[in-house]
Parts: sequence; structure tokens; C-alpha cells
Amino acid sequence: MSNFLVQLQLLLAALSALLPLLPDALRARAGEVLGVVGKALSLGGALSTGVGELAQKLAGIRAEIEAMAAARHAVTADELDAAMARVSAASAAFRKALQTAEAEVK
Amino acid sequence: MRHPIRALALACVLTLTPACAALHLSAPDPIAAARTDDQRAYAIIESYGALVETATVIVRDPSVPIEAKRAIGRAEAAATPSVQTLEIVFSAYLRARAAYAAASGGDDTTLTRAFNALNAASQALSQAIDRAQAPVAELQTIINAQRGGVR
Repeated sequence: MSNFLVQLQLLLAALSALLPLLPDALRARAGEVLGVVGKALSLGGALSTGVGELAQKLAGIRAEIEAMAAARHAVTADELDAAMARVSAASAAFRKALQTAEAEVK
Repeated sequence: MRHPIRALALACVLTLTPACAALHLSAPDPIAAARTDDQRAYAIIESYGALVETATVIVRDPSVPIEAKRAIGRAEAAATPSVQTLEIVFSAYLRARAAYAAASGGDDTTLTRAFNALNAASQALSQAIDRAQAPVAELQTIINAQRGGVR
């Protein structure tokens, strides 16, 4: 997927290089369109980046749970503590990142 | 710009292209793989950790609109207390289970008391799992919407 995006972005860059060849009247409009396309591609690429990452994490957790179920494993206090430590760390990082994002808007 | 609608349509198509390409018909569901309530609770907590890690990546992304980040923030603020409550109830269940195991060599009164306590803790765990699932699913839905539709 990222290769596809890079190819599209390279195509846009190549098209941008041809802008000076266009008549003045068209050049500004073509530049605006290419600018919008570039921003859209950038946003779409950013949004799709984490999809595979989250799916991979969930697949890993599912495999762990399947193994637990197959072995009739009873969850231990240590396993619960480790899982909650992950949640607490992730939640703290998330809230800090949200604060930073809000501060950048202001 | 003389054709803003066309430019907007093109922008939408290009924005959705990578997201659609990344679309999976079904994302792995760890909770469905669990066979017991303790495994189910553990799966919810672990999945929630992964969700919040992904939510952090989204919130750090400067190209994501602040409104979307705030929506994720509201969902996280609603879900985290439910998961924390689940942890408290889960810990109580683990203690009751350990007490029951310890009481199995004792007299009938001790064993009955430990059995009743384990039953109550088990019911509380089941209820906490039910209560945690909706807000966690809500957060996952919002993240999926931001990430292009993985469900």
C-alpha cells in the first residue's frame, strides 16, 4: 500500500514539474488541483498507516487467547497486572498526546 | 479555484483510496476466542491497550483533524474507567478463586463460604465484562472510522 502511495506521490511530483509548460491561465488552476490532490494523498496515507498495525496487534492477542483457551489456562494476577500496566501506560501517553494536540490548535 | 466541487470529489476519492485498499472484511476479535470469563476479561483489557496505543498514534498525527482527535478523546475518557473497574472486579475474582483453592482442603463451612464468595465474584466479573464491552467497542468504532473502516 505504501508503495502505491509513493508511486502516486511521485506521479504528482512529475506532473508538478510540467506545470511551467502550461499556459499562465491554466497553471494556477492546475497547481491548486495538484496541491489538493497532494494533501488528500498525504491524509489518506496517514490514516491507513495504523490499520495494519492495529490488526496485527489484535491478531497477536487473539492468538494468545486461543492458546489460553486450548490449554484451559486460568489467567493469573501477574498476567492481569501486565495487561493493566500496558493500558495505564497507553492511556497516559494518549492523554498527553491529546493535550499536545489541543495546545497546538490554540 | 473554478471547480471546487470537482476538486473536493477528487480529494475525497484520493483520501479514501488507501483506506479502502487497507480494508479488511473482519479484524481479529480476541474476545470471541475466549472460553471463560477470566480469558474474556483479559482479552478485553489487552485489546483495549492495543486500541489506546493506536489512538495515540492517530492523535499524534498532525494531518488528522482536531475534531476527530477530540472524538477519540471522549471515547477514551468513557472507556478507560470501565476497563479500570473491570480490573478491580477481576482482581477480586482472582483473590476469591485463590481463596477457594486454599479452602478446598479445609472444613465444609470454610469451603462453602469460599464457594459462595467465588460465585459472587464470578457474577460481578461477568457484569463488569458486559459493562466494559460497549465503551471499548465505541472507541474501536471511532478508531476504525478514522483508520478507514477496519471492523
